[in-house]
Amino acid sequence: MIPIENFLVLSGLLFAIGLFGVLSRRSAILILMSVELMLAGVAINFITFASYRDTEAFSGLVFALFVITVAAAEVGLALGIVLRLFRERRTANVDEASSLKW
Amino acid sequence: MFDRLPLPSQFDRTIISGGTVLALGATPVLVVLAALLVVDRISAPEFVFFLAASVLLAGAAGVVLMKNIVHAALCLVVTLLGVAAIYLLLLTEFLALVQVLVYGGGVVILLLFGLMMTNAQDDPVVTDGSQKPFAFGVAALIAGVFIALVLDAHWGSPEASIVPFRDFGARLFRDFSLPVVIVAVLLDIAFTGAFVNARRAEADSAARGEARS
Amino acid sequence: MTDILGNDLNMQYSLLLPEILLGVTAFLVVFADLFSKELKIGYRLLPLITVAGLVAALAASLIWADTTSDFAMLVTVDSFTTFFRVLFCIVAIVLVIGAHEYIEAHVNHPGEFFALLLLSTAGASFMAGAQDLLTAYLAVEVLSFSLYIAVSLGRNDPRSGEAALKYVLLGGVASAFLLYGLSFIYGVAGSTQYADISAALGGDLSDVRGSLVLGLVLIVAGLGFKASAVPFHMWTPDAYEGAPIPVTAYLSATSKAATFALLLRWFSGPLLPAIDEWQWMIAVLATATMVLGNLVALQQRNIKRLLAYSSIAQVGFMLMALVGISQITAGGLLAHLGGYLITNLAVFVAVIHFYNRTGKEEITDFKGLAQTNPYLALVMTAGLFSLAGMPLLVGFFTKFILFQTVVEADFLWLVVVAVVASTVSLYYYLQVIKQMYLYQPDGDATRWRLTPTGYLSTGALLAAVVVLGLWGTPLYEVADKAAAALFPVA
Repeated sequence: MIPIENFLVLSGLLFAIGLFGVLSRRSAILILMSVELMLAGVAINFITFASYRDTEAFSGLVFALFVITVAAAEVGLALGIVLRLFRERRTANVDEASSLKW
Repeated sequence: MFDRLPLPSQFDRTIISGGTVLALGATPVLVVLAALLVVDRISAPEFVFFLAASVLLAGAAGVVLMKNIVHAALCLVVTLLGVAAIYLLLLTEFLALVQVLVYGGGVVILLLFGLMMTNAQDDPVVTDGSQKPFAFGVAALIAGVFIALVLDAHWGSPEASIVPFRDFGARLFRDFSLPVVIVAVLLDIAFTGAFVNARRAEADSAARGEARS
Repeated sequence: MTDILGNDLNMQYSLLLPEILLGVTAFLVVFADLFSKELKIGYRLLPLITVAGLVAALAASLIWADTTSDFAMLVTVDSFTTFFRVLFCIVAIVLVIGAHEYIEAHVNHPGEFFALLLLSTAGASFMAGAQDLLTAYLAVEVLSFSLYIAVSLGRNDPRSGEAALKYVLLGGVASAFLLYGLSFIYGVAGSTQYADISAALGGDLSDVRGSLVLGLVLIVAGLGFKASAVPFHMWTPDAYEGAPIPVTAYLSATSKAATFALLLRWFSGPLLPAIDEWQWMIAVLATATMVLGNLVALQQRNIKRLLAYSSIAQVGFMLMALVGISQITAGGLLAHLGGYLITNLAVFVAVIHFYNRTGKEEITDFKGLAQTNPYLALVMTAGLFSLAGMPLLVGFFTKFILFQTVVEADFLWLVVVAVVASTVSLYYYLQVIKQMYLYQPDGDATRWRLTPTGYLSTGALLAAVVVLGLWGTPLYEVADKAAAALFPVA
């Protein structure tokens, strides 16, 4: 069988790559994609722990299912806001939307 | 060279160059893994795992590095399919199915729509912020810490086991009945949010029209 | 009914009556809004329905005031849950009564706004009541999603969409951190049930200590973001400034209180056995938040941004109580949370009415308010002094209790920092008061009056600030009873 560490390391790498994307990208849509990567890492972690360490109750599987659902809903919600901002400003870049100072 | 092919250029340029890159990258990985498999250093499931993991990580790197947004979105598809393969290796067919349906079928289409509406051009290229080295440092640090801590732990050597589909359904809809209701409300809220922000243009123009007449 | 492990599940839906009522009312409001033309009902009916639903939910929460029960091992209903249910309902009622004119004039889609207010109140009370990580996580998302949308609802305000975009992107990242942390807690404990986690963390964990600490760091970061603790506060001023003012008030009231309800539940229950691992993180966070929040507040010119940094500073004071958590400090924290919410709402409702009249929100715009509307200036002054912790007002009373309980928990150095920070805070609150009383109004100096509902909401809040400041025992007793539910006598 595959050792549990393999999956945990993989999810950590995916999470870190996603974080890199969030920090380095300017386009709001690309940031959203990077957040999706981070959440995919989270889901892998939950499922790993569920199938290796919680085989009786497998709550982690249910958790992962909800993570996927919430992530999808978040994309829809955020895209609505991106579209609206694009209509108002003609840009989808986060740092060009800067009438508020950080 | 692409111009001589009897095909519309944009589309297959992506496919051909993408396929070439994929083949060039995948071949050495496959060779190394096959060699390891032959000399019995890794088992067959591990062979599949490392294959899926390298595809997945390559895709993820593409998502965060590609200059062309559409290419980045296509890389996201690759990554999410790789994640579905990982779910299969974790013996959860149902979640793998959900992953493919929700992400491949829904989220990526939605993201591509968003791209087309905000970057309406054939070759949407983006520039990244100047903080790339900083971002890389932070991400590398976090990845290092995560991996060190995970490998430092002794998880024992547990075995994965298959969850019967019937049990999963009972767990979801009986034991966790309330979260299912809460998530339904959550989807309503998200729908409302997408709706109120996307509809604004018509609402505003309608209001302006009324004011004029 | 039994679950997959053979535990009995208590599926008594009446325990969730308050949340069910809130949900039903939310749909009623949306439908009333949708068919407003056909049914010939005006905007005025929407706040009425909302308040009716909130009052019903408040009454329904009181039914379970003295019970200790749970719904299917997912939600606990005890005096702690009841405390927050009542608190959240009151906040929402006051906001609707105090801000309905503002919402009509400056908020897009008022029907949806009221529905979101109701649903997020339900989400917040689930955060207080959850006894399973899954319920808690979904409740957090219900509240956050509602807030992302509510921030984006500002009418003709270009800052609104921008603030919402920053908030939703950073909020998504924070959720990912929180979730990643939760996955490690789940992996270490092997369960999502609070009781099981508590038992598992009480055992020998030397094998997986690193992963546990990693999980805790990520959870503190994720929740620190939701509570806007330094250094995870960057979104707060922007979201506060860009959002419609009632949403800003809601962000600083319910959203914060709900996060603290969750923090209290987690750090006094499932995560308590690991106190050695997380105590220092919270202490660092509390110190940084108190110091930075107060120092940056000194430079603000917009009243919403000023209140944003002031609320960050208040979060620092409240985090202090988590460091030395016990039944006593938890009681102090709950009392301060109640006092802070009342005070903060008083200031915000006053600002809302000021904006209704003038359409301005810079601090210098408050010049001469004492002449044009002495009553509103009085409400603002009482609220700001109470936030600063001046005697005879509720803010002093609850802050005093909070500081005292933290001293008793042997964290004197934290309290010293807090007292210094508190003194600094007096300066920027006084800046606003100075504008109102010492300067002549620019331009229009005619006197103006509030609307009847404006007098009702500000009057009730002013009375609460003063009366609870003089005689705060009831507030403290209720808080103490709620805190007792967190630490059941074994």
